[in-house]
Amino acid sequence: MIHDSVIRPKLVTGEKTLHDVTTEICRPIENKPSTSWKVGFTLAVIFFGLLALTLTITMLYGIGTWGLNKTVQWGWDITNFVFWVGIGHAGTLISAILLLFRQKWRMSINRSAEAMTIFAVLCAAIFPLFHMGRLWVGMYWVLPLPNAFGSLWGNFHSPLLWDVFAITTYFSVSLVFWYLGMIPDIATVRDRATTAGRKFWYNFFSMGWTGSVRTWNRYEVVSLILAGISTPLVLSVHTIVSMDFATSVVPGWHTTIFPPYFVAGAIFSGFGMVLTLLIIARKVMNYQDYITIGHLEAMCKVVMLTGTMVGLAYITEFFVAAYSGVVYEQYAFINRATGPYWWAYWSMMTCNLVAPQVFWFKWARTTPWFIFMLSIVVNVGMWFERFVIIVTSLHREYLPSGWVMYSPTWVEIGIFLGTFGLFFTCFFLFAKFLPVINMSEVKSILKNRE
Amino acid sequence: MIDKKLFLDKNKTVIFGIFENPDQFLSTVGKVHSKGLDIIDCYSPFPIHGIEKAMGLKRSLLPVGAFLAGLLGFIGAGTLQWYTMSYDWPIVIGNKPSFGVSYVPVWFEGTILFTAFGIAILFFIRNKMLHGKMPSERIDMRQTDDRMIVAIASDNPAIDKEELTNLLFDGGAVEVKERTNHGYEDFTDANITK
Repeated sequence: MIHDSVIRPKLVTGEKTLHDVTTEICRPIENKPSTSWKVGFTLAVIFFGLLALTLTITMLYGIGTWGLNKTVQWGWDITNFVFWVGIGHAGTLISAILLLFRQKWRMSINRSAEAMTIFAVLCAAIFPLFHMGRLWVGMYWVLPLPNAFGSLWGNFHSPLLWDVFAITTYFSVSLVFWYLGMIPDIATVRDRATTAGRKFWYNFFSMGWTGSVRTWNRYEVVSLILAGISTPLVLSVHTIVSMDFATSVVPGWHTTIFPPYFVAGAIFSGFGMVLTLLIIARKVMNYQDYITIGHLEAMCKVVMLTGTMVGLAYITEFFVAAYSGVVYEQYAFINRATGPYWWAYWSMMTCNLVAPQVFWFKWARTTPWFIFMLSIVVNVGMWFERFVIIVTSLHREYLPSGWVMYSPTWVEIGIFLGTFGLFFTCFFLFAKFLPVINMSEVKSILKNRE
Repeated sequence: MIDKKLFLDKNKTVIFGIFENPDQFLSTVGKVHSKGLDIIDCYSPFPIHGIEKAMGLKRSLLPVGAFLAGLLGFIGAGTLQWYTMSYDWPIVIGNKPSFGVSYVPVWFEGTILFTAFGIAILFFIRNKMLHGKMPSERIDMRQTDDRMIVAIASDNPAIDKEELTNLLFDGGAVEVKERTNHGYEDFTDANITK
């Protein structure tokens, strides 16, 4: 059968020339910051200050300032850790997996998604680090503990140590990928620079890039290899995060479905956050020609698919608990849905399984304000997912005598809100000082360049 | 293909063809190469697929370097775990062998980490890139914006410069210039009078 291919809509609209792309994407770097940037940045810095304050209080008075107790030893801290790590999954997914699949629509969103990844992982790292207590005795994490019988090393059988390796590898490889991809664009800014400061700094970070074809040739090879190794990496990170729970014997955690379910959830929440950020960025920075409705629609489809996968996992968990015949397992799930934290469970179900189903309708996928609202719902839902998994499983374990309730203190809430401050402070600085869209890749997909 | 060092030698003469259209650029580079002329290098603001073939570049050996770096990571992460957990102070949990499946995650992550950093460092070394280094060849400040440039060695007295200039202009070049010991000589006007 001969199939006539439908001509796909253009990825970059507005009949741009190569020079237009350069001028428009360099504009925020070369001009003075706009009022909306200043307002947003100030707000972000205020919240960042809140982070500094609450972390200082934690350091001065100890973990007792948090609402954790002897039964619920992981509360908001690990909830927020998993929440931020999950958000950090979209960036490398977009740039690595979509590169391998030759999805060219990734090109105008990959830079900002990778930046988001790096900032989200930074925010995530704060929680387990500060949960450990005094950071300045941190040498103990990496060096063997001295004692009379020899050196006691870190336990490589422990999923917590796997997680340390997974997250640090993910962070540093993402950083390398992000920076390598940015060098050609930094060189473009350098060659247009008019001020001494810009000339110096962009020259410093462009590492002498000239755009030589030999360099481009190697650059393409390196991009492909990095994408190839980042793809299993991105899948491994949330798999290992899920093993922090799945390898334990806590009812509600001890589940083999966790790795794929966590990975789907991470992609879901990551795309949710990419949508939140990009819908604002394309409007404020006037990049509608680069981040088109087509891009938003494609991301909505990913959100719908992964949301449904997550929903299926929720239902499968229930089925497996019922089928297992283990009373503790069964109680953990009944307690989630009908116990004192029922509102968290049903918020999660509504936000993650039900809400994304509106994306079956084309109108919902192509209306930016609506997608924005939905992306917030997704973010909230995924936060609740982690809260439900962690807190409802811990607060009523095997012994009813140990059952308690958990609620966060203002310090914990402050740290969480503060990480949003850190995240947005980084993102605003990125939007001001670095090209938000990958110019060199976008140039290669303009008009007749097939 | 001649050695790139010749290009950096200021006493050698080089003809530059500057283009605006990537497709015309690609086909002209192919023509220049098929005439047997020495293309020193090309410059473009974005990767142009197929130009490495048109120029006659060899395949990069970087993947081999990436493999070796990954192998180093594999051996390193394996050795670290074996030494600390199975040799120096073996910890037996649940009577399971200390050297086993639980080493896989760190083994995997270590391999990935070394591959990524290895290939990035090799990439920088191979391209002689360094933080703060001044770009060595900037023929036109717009070569990172919207201009594509082909640099052809013109020392050889056998080269018919007029023919080459015409070939470049006919291929869509917007500017052709030659760098000699005295500086740049622009061929654009010569073409207009042609």
